[in-house]
Amino acid sequence: MTEPIVKYNKVTKYFDDLQVLDKIDFEIQQGEKVALIGPSGSGKTTFARLLMTLEEITDGTIEVEGEYLWHEKNEKGELSPASTEHLRKVRSNVGMVFQHFHLFPHMTVLENIIEAPITVKGKKKKEATKQGKEILDKVGLLDKADVYPAQLSGGQKQRVAIARALVMEPKVLIFDEPTSALDPELVGEVLEVIKDIADQGETSMLLITHEMDFAKEVADRIAFFDDGKIVEDGAPSEILYNPKSTRLKEFLERFMNTQTP
Amino acid sequence: MSFWEVITSILGQGLWITLLTTFLSAILALVIGFAGGLMRLSRNKFVRFIVGVYVEVFRGTSLLVQLFWIYYVLPMFGITLSAITAAVLAIGLNYGAYTSEVVRSGIQSVDEGQIEASIALNMTKIQRMRRVILPQAFILMLPNLGNQLIELFKSTSLVALITLTDLTYQADVLNATTLQTTQIYTALLIIYFVIAWPMTKGIQILERKLTEGRM
Repeated sequence: MTEPIVKYNKVTKYFDDLQVLDKIDFEIQQGEKVALIGPSGSGKTTFARLLMTLEEITDGTIEVEGEYLWHEKNEKGELSPASTEHLRKVRSNVGMVFQHFHLFPHMTVLENIIEAPITVKGKKKKEATKQGKEILDKVGLLDKADVYPAQLSGGQKQRVAIARALVMEPKVLIFDEPTSALDPELVGEVLEVIKDIADQGETSMLLITHEMDFAKEVADRIAFFDDGKIVEDGAPSEILYNPKSTRLKEFLERFMNTQTP
Repeated sequence: MSFWEVITSILGQGLWITLLTTFLSAILALVIGFAGGLMRLSRNKFVRFIVGVYVEVFRGTSLLVQLFWIYYVLPMFGITLSAITAAVLAIGLNYGAYTSEVVRSGIQSVDEGQIEASIALNMTKIQRMRRVILPQAFILMLPNLGNQLIELFKSTSLVALITLTDLTYQADVLNATTLQTTQIYTALLIIYFVIAWPMTKGIQILERKLTEGRM
């Protein structure tokens, strides 16, 4: 078996005195699509933000492609906090799509996409533009290349944000509730783009979502978070139709009730 | 002297000094303001403290006194400056203190999500600041920076008190010789307004240009 691409080892996170993650062990395999579900405040977003280095880890380790993300090994083999260079090197394997898009409002759609390839990866503008346009075409927004984000619908914004993350060719792509901020009629177009990426296979995905049907369709595995722990973790059909724990049963029941009017 | 002659007489000799003082001290204030604003956001406590002291001292004392101090007191410590250097230094340092606060709050007003997005794209701290935060912060700062430019321009009238022959100085001289007080100071008011107004408009146009279709 190949090495997992992401490996959480006893990961704990506190915000001051409040514990949000409790010694979590977790792995994502190469190309695997994992959906995270659970009530809000259960720790699933913090769990993903640790992998993107948007929150600092309190205890435990995260490995990406066999390298520590938050730590570095010294000569004696002891772990010490990672230097900025090390953190950036390991972080380059990870990308993220946010609930509220966070596009750069002062740049056009195309500029948003080619910014990081040029400044971070040092690509030539011409090459980055060519690649950027290909990816824009993939998410169906080539005609919006020279428009500013403010002139796009929510669904279009999120598709640009997905293209912006994709162009950096991450090994793992995090989606943090990518459709939660969208009007219902715009959800479909975004899910379709995510599905396309999933179908292409290579990129591992960590998908935080409340769209159960979509999770079932896209994910190889679903992990259920509650109270800072992963309570259940397994195949979508098992998690959704054959929940073992009462907490997951209750969550799904509550969820189905609020979904059907 | 006709009203028109009063105006041309004030302008002819004072305009250049007023504009030069405004221009040079605005540049200095902007440089100090940006450096100070960024330093105020530094992780280093000592750096923040130093800038904090500077801001409080220059905001908390009068510009006129600072001007006198730099021009008349510094020579006692062996530092003699020309009147124009003293003027630019005093006004630049004074407005730099205010500008650093404008810069700091502008940077802090940029949405946290912008920083997160640029971390997710693996930008360095400097790239984040230069490519993402500052261009957006600058637009947020612009109305305040514009106000400060106008304030700064008007405050250059104080330099007449350290012997610089600016607009106000020329008006004073003219008043002493002709005693046409009403006409002279009315003319002076009008001159300041006519210079300040295009500055205000210019900033507004710049702001509109920078935000058009984007915000």
